Amino acid sequence: MTDGQSFLQSPIGATRGWWDDLETEERNTIVGLAVFGGLLLAATAVGILNPTYLLYLLTLAGMFTLMTLGLNVQWGYTGLVNFSVIAFWGIGAYSAAMVTAERSPLGWELHPVWGVVVAVVASALLATLIAVPTLRLRADYLAIATLGFAEIVRMVINNERAYTNGSAGIPGIPSVAEWVESPDLVSFLTIALLVAVVYLVLRRAQLSPWGRVQRTIRADEDLAQALGKNTFRFKLQSFVLGSVIMALAGVAYVHLITPLITPTGLEPIRTFYVWIGIILGGSGSNRGAVVGGLTIVAIRQAPSFIRNQLLNVPAIAPYVSEINVGALRLFLVGVLVILIVRYRSSGLLPPKREHIWSKTLEDRS
Amino acid sequence: MNESELDYEGGDLQKEDPLLRVEDLRKTFGGVVAADDATFAVERGSITGLIGPNGAGKSTLFNLISGFYEPDGGAVYLGDEEITGMRPDQIAQKGLIRTFQTPRKLEGMTVRESLLVAPAGQRGESLLPLWTSPSSVTAQEDELLDRAEDLLSFFEIDHLATEPSPELSGGQLKLVELARAMMTDPDVLLLDEPVAGVNPVLEEKLAEHIRRLNEEQGVTVLLIEHDMEFIMDLADPIVVLDQGRVLVEGTPEAVRTDDRVVDAYLGGVAE
Repeated sequence: MTDGQSFLQSPIGATRGWWDDLETEERNTIVGLAVFGGLLLAATAVGILNPTYLLYLLTLAGMFTLMTLGLNVQWGYTGLVNFSVIAFWGIGAYSAAMVTAERSPLGWELHPVWGVVVAVVASALLATLIAVPTLRLRADYLAIATLGFAEIVRMVINNERAYTNGSAGIPGIPSVAEWVESPDLVSFLTIALLVAVVYLVLRRAQLSPWGRVQRTIRADEDLAQALGKNTFRFKLQSFVLGSVIMALAGVAYVHLITPLITPTGLEPIRTFYVWIGIILGGSGSNRGAVVGGLTIVAIRQAPSFIRNQLLNVPAIAPYVSEINVGALRLFLVGVLVILIVRYRSSGLLPPKREHIWSKTLEDRS
Repeated sequence: MNESELDYEGGDLQKEDPLLRVEDLRKTFGGVVAADDATFAVERGSITGLIGPNGAGKSTLFNLISGFYEPDGGAVYLGDEEITGMRPDQIAQKGLIRTFQTPRKLEGMTVRESLLVAPAGQRGESLLPLWTSPSSVTAQEDELLDRAEDLLSFFEIDHLATEPSPELSGGQLKLVELARAMMTDPDVLLLDEPVAGVNPVLEEKLAEHIRRLNEEQGVTVLLIEHDMEFIMDLADPIVVLDQGRVLVEGTPEAVRTDDRVVDAYLGGVAE
């Protein structure tokens, strides 16, 4: 009897202990995500939300999460301001498209694996190119340089027709849909795996001496130097690592989400959506970056989805059709930013107060 | 050739075993001469004080020695090696560690973490070893945690180990800063106003700690301080800086009674 009871109780007890250990912010966020997830599932179950659309949304959220994770390395860990998030995404997307697509002007039609390789190498090289002259200067110069870099990348892609097809973009990128039965599910699982791997890698890095040096640089770069750290090297690593992850998000986009890439995808506004994502999630927190990535997609997709649903209701359809979704989206973003700054200036899931790899601490006891 | 050489008397290099030597160090900002051929040496194992009226160029000298400013002329030697023009991190790795007048708070780090970060060249500071040899990384971190614990108890702040750094008081920050500097096992410590804004009780304690670091661990100390009582009590010899030049160097007693020092402090009636 007693054995049976403890057998039954222990998992529940463990769960309860875990819940009790959480901070208020963590509980609120979990409840919020659970409610939101429940709503999505309910909407899918009653047929308002198409399962394919749900998987598409989740895949898109995975892609944005990669971008927020990448920016979190640069801004959250090290304090580097990068305004060319979408440019690195575009470098990834175009690298993959140019070397793999059937209708790419290059006509190489390589295997997508090469798309990944080229994207990683190209983004790492370009990140180094922009970082080397600017990282030695004060923080604001990097911000200005990246803002300019993003526009340069967009203009080059728009005008170098011989390589990029210009404004027409590159269609016919090999998609996961060509090889499998249920491409939406496979796309989602692939990106979920990618997010998980990136998350674990970044978490280990954050909890290491490397991450500790990055936090010191963010708080007081002079101190880091006075302690013998080559801060230029650390900042360069952080910038390149973050940029490569953003490029991977671009690769994922063209192979898993939409087999077409055009320069309009590189609108600067998207960079700021990613910024809003990490500010909302909590700068310096990987979990926060994930929540931020999910939220970006919710903000971007919800207005048009809800509008379309309301258009089905005859009584209010005429009023609803007057609503400009683009403007509503920006309005929502503005309101959200004000609310965060007012009530949760360190984000929904701020970073933990101490970052020491648990194995290190376990070794001691 | 240079007029200033005529009245230059302080700062000699004739030490038995100088660990740090500053020779004719010069730095100008626009028209202001912040370091005017400053010359002095710090004897190995000494606690040397650096004093001078406001604007005498004490902090500039620290920044020149530790590599944060590039000198316009002159040279700095650590032991037998010239370190002039090296980057701050390279100089730090050679065993010269400095502190700052106003320590900034390390956002997002606990006290023990802010100590853990100090030793340069840790294995886990490179990314690859985190996955290729994880146990050597954690083993080294574990050792450093032990060392951090020891130092925190040496400075009697072990109860603060897991406190977030930004929540410390000014005096606690000064102690943490000293402990952090000691994590690197330095040969020379440059302390920039270690007791500024610290209450008298803690001031006494800090003096005691610095003395013990010097005596027990053999750390050579060069320190700037405005608190005359503190520095006269702790340091010997004392180097007096005025308008970027070394005015006098000597024992606290000699410096205290030197007319030129009195003049410098009373407002530039030296001419």
